[in-house]
Amino acid sequence: MIHIPEDIKKKISFLIGKANQVSNAPVVVFDESRTKFLSDLSIELLSNSSIRQYPDVATFAFWCRSSNLNKIIKNHRTSRLRVGLGMVYHNSPSNVPVNFAFSLVFGLLSGNTNVVRLSSKGSDSELIILNVISELLATNKYSEIRQFISIIRFDRDDEVNKFWMSVADGRVIWGGDETVSKMRSFQCKPRSREIVFPDRFSLCVINANKIVKVSESDLKKICQNLFNDVYIMDQNACTSPQLFNWVGNDSSIKKAKDRLWPEFSKYIRQIHSLEPIQYMNKYVDACRNALSNDNIKSIKHENNLLFNIELSHFNNKQQDQRGYFGTIHEISIKNLNDLAAIIDDRCQTLTYFGFDNKELKNFIVSNQLHGIDRIVPIGRSLDMDVIWDGYDIINHLSRTIDIY
Amino acid sequence: MKEISTIPVFSLNNADKNDFMLRNMNSLTQLHLKNCFEYKSLMEKFENIKQSYDSLLDIPFIPVRLFKYSNLLSIEKKDIVKTMTSSGTSGQSVSKIFLDKETASLQIKVLSKIMADFIGKKRLPMLIIDSKSIISNREKFSARTAGVLGFSIFGRNVEFALNDDMTFNYERVESFLKKYESESILIFGFTFIIWKHFVLELEKAGKKLNLSTSILLHGGGWKQLENQSVDNIEFKNRVLNISSISKIHNYYGMVEQTGSIFVECEFGFLHASSFSDLIIRNHQTHHPENQGSKGLIQLLSVIPKSYPGHSILTEDLGTIYGVDNCKCGRMGKYFKVHGRIKSAEIRGCSDTYS
Repeated sequence: MIHIPEDIKKKISFLIGKANQVSNAPVVVFDESRTKFLSDLSIELLSNSSIRQYPDVATFAFWCRSSNLNKIIKNHRTSRLRVGLGMVYHNSPSNVPVNFAFSLVFGLLSGNTNVVRLSSKGSDSELIILNVISELLATNKYSEIRQFISIIRFDRDDEVNKFWMSVADGRVIWGGDETVSKMRSFQCKPRSREIVFPDRFSLCVINANKIVKVSESDLKKICQNLFNDVYIMDQNACTSPQLFNWVGNDSSIKKAKDRLWPEFSKYIRQIHSLEPIQYMNKYVDACRNALSNDNIKSIKHENNLLFNIELSHFNNKQQDQRGYFGTIHEISIKNLNDLAAIIDDRCQTLTYFGFDNKELKNFIVSNQLHGIDRIVPIGRSLDMDVIWDGYDIINHLSRTIDIY
Repeated sequence: MKEISTIPVFSLNNADKNDFMLRNMNSLTQLHLKNCFEYKSLMEKFENIKQSYDSLLDIPFIPVRLFKYSNLLSIEKKDIVKTMTSSGTSGQSVSKIFLDKETASLQIKVLSKIMADFIGKKRLPMLIIDSKSIISNREKFSARTAGVLGFSIFGRNVEFALNDDMTFNYERVESFLKKYESESILIFGFTFIIWKHFVLELEKAGKKLNLSTSILLHGGGWKQLENQSVDNIEFKNRVLNISSISKIHNYYGMVEQTGSIFVECEFGFLHASSFSDLIIRNHQTHHPENQGSKGLIQLLSVIPKSYPGHSILTEDLGTIYGVDNCKCGRMGKYFKVHGRIKSAEIRGCSDTYS
């Protein structure tokens, strides 16, 4: 058990778990009682009557179902023994409510005790998940698991952070550059491991020729997919595509854009709207952008839901040229390799349409890229998984023990 | 612009007003395209440059917030005679508006014509509900200072009602009122200052003043009063109750278009003068809204020559209720302002560690 000093204890509120019951005992990876717990969690959440109103909770619940867990277990199959690190401390992000739950699940599956700090900002999605976890843990069936899950809140406090960092065997830090460097400033155990999620930049690459040729129904599907990538998280998740790269010759790119964007614009209008201030912020940002960047050729916005900002060339701070709520910066390139010029270690997700696995692999390898940690088809930029940000989180939060 | 002195301020009919505005908006747009590099570049990128626009609705606009981020001017730096800044709570950036001699003088001309329509051409004894330090302390040159200085030229024998610590100086006010007992007085101040340091103060002290022949002009926005659920009607009632002032005129205007203010008439509507106009636009499409519909307020003014602020999209919501047919007899559009669009949160991965 981890001993929490009194002066620290009184600053922390335990939403789930107890201050004198925080274990740090590692268990084997994919421990069966834990996978059962998670699949029950999935069932309970999915049977919740209000789940339809919370697509993020539904996505999380669907991810936790036993068939998906089995798939993950299968992908991680090894003859070696693997056990957790001990206690893993999670600092969750404030604006993606369900990520705390994913983080917790990653820690559980990899055999650890988990202390999860929630952001000060609560949400309905968070509450739904917390309630179900707490109901399950209250049953006798899962009494053994109680000591492995602590979900806490505390006001910004260096002393409390310092304490957790000093006892954690692993830390999972969400929240961007500032949070990462803040948490790194505290002394950690020499053998402790970290998974950090600093600020990232994500992009999309589209094969223009393929867009020209797709059927009407496929075009509609592409619009749905782009909508998921761009709008669901206000285009402000680290995985949200910022820069759209059109690959092809000038005439095919023009044809492809003339086909896709009007259709896309029509599609979003039917299903989405923003707050008045969000339209205004987009518009003001586009104007500011236009004034301060010489690589902007044109800004089109027939409707303020979608801004298309066409770039003439990459600028030297391309990753700072960002937009939110449906602001698409786009550029034409001759082939995939031209994109290598702006890829650095800040690049996270590359969403794509119209390229095959081999071309994409070759792009990463032949250009010796430092960045791009995920390559997924358009529409799946937000799909969370145990392989994330270039980490295999299960392996990273566990020890592999060779027994001869 | 010689026309300003000859054109009546509130009696152009809709057709004549449109002709006059369109002509001016076209020439101002071309002027700024020629003289302001940033403005031109913006219009180029938004693919919105024409030699001439057929309708006022087509005149390009820029977001008013842009003046906070960029120094936009259409004159040589050496010709700047005055730089005006917006208010803005600490930490926020402020708008910077650059005036040359011509634009500064146009502001005064237009403002004089508008004011004359409401208070008459004669200058009245003026009581300002603020402290004198607001104009004497040059280090704190705020929008309040600019407003007080700007409007002071329409009064005479100007007196300040508040002490430096913003307490009400009964003695000074009573002797001022005694001196001009037989005349009508112009009272001026910022809406929230009048509310806090005049209305609430007199109510608390249980005092009443007789200012039944005075005119109260106030502006600066309702944001702080909205928080206390005080609307224009409540404001007027409470002012009337403590001071017997029945002639109360709110005005709407912004530093980006100083001079061409919109003054509230006797029937509670704000009016566009001959020298300014407004268009209500949908926040999602920026398409013009019909009369009676609520939307973003776009403001047009013939004044701004030294900076490209002749057509700006504000972040205020408003509704136009009619044109040329307000019961007060003034021609032009009349409207109401409903306050600013509300801020909202953004989702995303980032988080400060608090």
